[in-house]
Amino acid sequence: MAANFWTSSHCKQLLDPEDVELVPAADRERGITPEEFRLVKIHMSFHIWRLAQQVKVRQRVIATAVTYFRRVYTRKSMSEYDPRLVAPTCLYLASKVEESTVQARLLVFYIKKMCGTGSDDKYWFEIKDILEMEMKLLEALDYYLVVFHPYRPLLQLLQDAGITDLTQFAWQGPREDTYKMDLILIYPPYMIALACIYIASALKDKDTTSWFEELRVDMNIVKNISMEILDFYDTYKIDPQRGLPDDKISPVLNKLPAKP
Amino acid sequence: MGWAVFLLGPNCIILLVHITPTLPGRSVRIVTGPTSQAKQAERHRSVGGEDDGEESRRRRQAGAASGMGDGRAGGANRPAWLQQYELVGKIGEGTYGLVFLARLKPAHPAPGRRGPPIAIKKFKQSKEGDGVSPTAIREIMLLREINHENVVKLVNVHINHADMSLYLAFDYAEHDLYEIIRHHREKLNAPINPYTVKSLLWQLLNGLNYLHSNWIIHRDLKPSNILVMGEGEEHGIIKIADFGLARIYQAPLKALCDNGVVVTIWYRAPELLLGAKHYTSAVDMWAVGCIFAELLTLKPLFQGVEAKNTPNPFQLDQLDKIFKVLGHPTVEKWPTLANLPWWQNDQQHIQGHKYENPGLHNIVHLPQKSPAFDLLSKMLEYDPRKRITAAQALEHEYFRMDPLPGRNALLPSQPGEKIVQYPVRPVDTTTDFEGTTSLQPTQPPSGNAAQGQSVSRSMPRQMPQQPMVGMPRVAAGTNMAAFNAASQAGMAGLNPGNIPMQRGTGGQSHPHQLRRKADQGMMQNPGYPQQKRRF
Repeated sequence: MAANFWTSSHCKQLLDPEDVELVPAADRERGITPEEFRLVKIHMSFHIWRLAQQVKVRQRVIATAVTYFRRVYTRKSMSEYDPRLVAPTCLYLASKVEESTVQARLLVFYIKKMCGTGSDDKYWFEIKDILEMEMKLLEALDYYLVVFHPYRPLLQLLQDAGITDLTQFAWQGPREDTYKMDLILIYPPYMIALACIYIASALKDKDTTSWFEELRVDMNIVKNISMEILDFYDTYKIDPQRGLPDDKISPVLNKLPAKP
Repeated sequence: MGWAVFLLGPNCIILLVHITPTLPGRSVRIVTGPTSQAKQAERHRSVGGEDDGEESRRRRQAGAASGMGDGRAGGANRPAWLQQYELVGKIGEGTYGLVFLARLKPAHPAPGRRGPPIAIKKFKQSKEGDGVSPTAIREIMLLREINHENVVKLVNVHINHADMSLYLAFDYAEHDLYEIIRHHREKLNAPINPYTVKSLLWQLLNGLNYLHSNWIIHRDLKPSNILVMGEGEEHGIIKIADFGLARIYQAPLKALCDNGVVVTIWYRAPELLLGAKHYTSAVDMWAVGCIFAELLTLKPLFQGVEAKNTPNPFQLDQLDKIFKVLGHPTVEKWPTLANLPWWQNDQQHIQGHKYENPGLHNIVHLPQKSPAFDLLSKMLEYDPRKRITAAQALEHEYFRMDPLPGRNALLPSQPGEKIVQYPVRPVDTTTDFEGTTSLQPTQPPSGNAAQGQSVSRSMPRQMPQQPMVGMPRVAAGTNMAAFNAASQAGMAGLNPGNIPMQRGTGGQSHPHQLRRKADQGMMQNPGYPQQKRRF
């Protein structure tokens, strides 16, 4: 399992794109559209990423947290599981799973620091909230906690292709971009890694055609993932420092039930 | 405030009893009788497990409305999943919490029909404010992914949102190597038969090979963590248990030594004792070597006295015990020895000790040229890089000669031989899922659990301080009960602390039935090792 993606729970849980994009019934009733559903997920992935910068955890912890976050909403509604609480709790759980535990106390502290004043207090939660959500999260994830990521295959594949000079560039894919999408729920991590290489070599004019041919993977899938990633860039043009603008996100979050 | 579930009589009528320990005199009030309880159970079932959160919210509201003193609020406190089990009693406790024996209620209840036994490990929240304990997370994470005949099977995970406790449900194993060895040492005064030793060892290696090939190090192998199935489909099959310390070592984010000292000292590999930072699956193989020797002699091979309160894994006496038996390690035989912190700085002058005559063969009473001895000494190789791997060990000559290892390790090796009846686990039937002792609620539930924790935390350190005359006996006073609680910190934890034990009766019955099964088994299964490639 830990070594073999094909026998892992991650592999068995891969979904069709349509299932991932489906807005849960409870959220539909509150008038949340598929596009808004997607926006919240992008926004909250960014929130996790920013929070992780504060508590200083490694990339893999962030990636696992975002994966948990996105998995939850293939099963639960945002109306029932407040994304503003689920996001930090995912980071909390992922830090335990990846053996670099962050204390809940610290997370709460940095959330308050990050989401300073005013309307942002909807992001504020207490330790107790996170601990309660941790248990609900375990349940929502059906206790499947091992997640595979594209990092390791990416490095191996770059080496194999003899284009390690592209590492820095191709690495950006999994590090910053692919987790803003639901790719990790849909495709095997090595396919995502291949798409990152495909994009990197296209943009940097490296001829990797023959190398890809030798791999004997379904190039249509690789190209599809690549197109999705490029589309995503074009559509959202996310500010790497600030994320999505507040006027896009607040109206959506306001459709969710207020904190009890 | 707390509540308790009582099991009364064969039909398991459950009474919900609300305990209010804060009141003077600790009044116990019977709130709901069996009839209304049954109705309540029905309602819970229709609610379904998914709605547990909703349910606990409702309960909190109800509790608040009635000033937390209303018994009906306590009734809704029972999580719905609990309905699928019949609690038998407590079978162990450790630092993490408690272990219970329960039975899954049969789908179609009928008189005399009993569901399969399940061991339920209850985790308390590790510390105030730390949420689900990392031990529980590791165990869930790994066991949810793996599936092997010789690894304990996690059948379910449950959560009680009301008190934030987590329950892991496993297939129940009646025996473990600690109890099997003890039975031979103290009751039978006879060695374990060679077929059983070999089968147990082979299965242990088989499970370990699976774990290692999946990049999992167990890190805490010891006889009490190695379970053996009792009568039934899987009789005599080994299950490696307790993954609370296990790690995936493919891509650790931190050095592997980071999260504290691991492995009970008697089974701890020399590289760990000397402060290795990046140890490997070889540490498990060392433990297997120690266990192999213990199966042969019925005594722990290296019974070092544990130094208390050391922040690092260095244990002088343990190393000394090892050196005495295996001879002094040398840099010639173990090149990386020179780099190990505690060898290098040599504050305790371990380099100066010299034990010339390794006496392992005398201790285990094996001829030096026998395959068994060869395998054992390869497991106890000092240099972790030269130590035999689980995969290599499975191919060793020892397993190809008579008696061949088999699937049911507890069968007699010869058709005419007497079957050893191992005792069943003692069950404390007076304790419920809350860890409260029923009928005599002398202390609040939380107090009880906290006590369990502190006892077991301190014990692994204290225990070896006792004068070591063979192994400690379990039957006696509080010290030993506590020892058990500690050293058995696994689902193998056996002795409920301080509580008089009731021996079950299941183990003594049906010798004929067993014999018949045995004969069939022998015929259908002439050579277990030949089949092993199936795994």
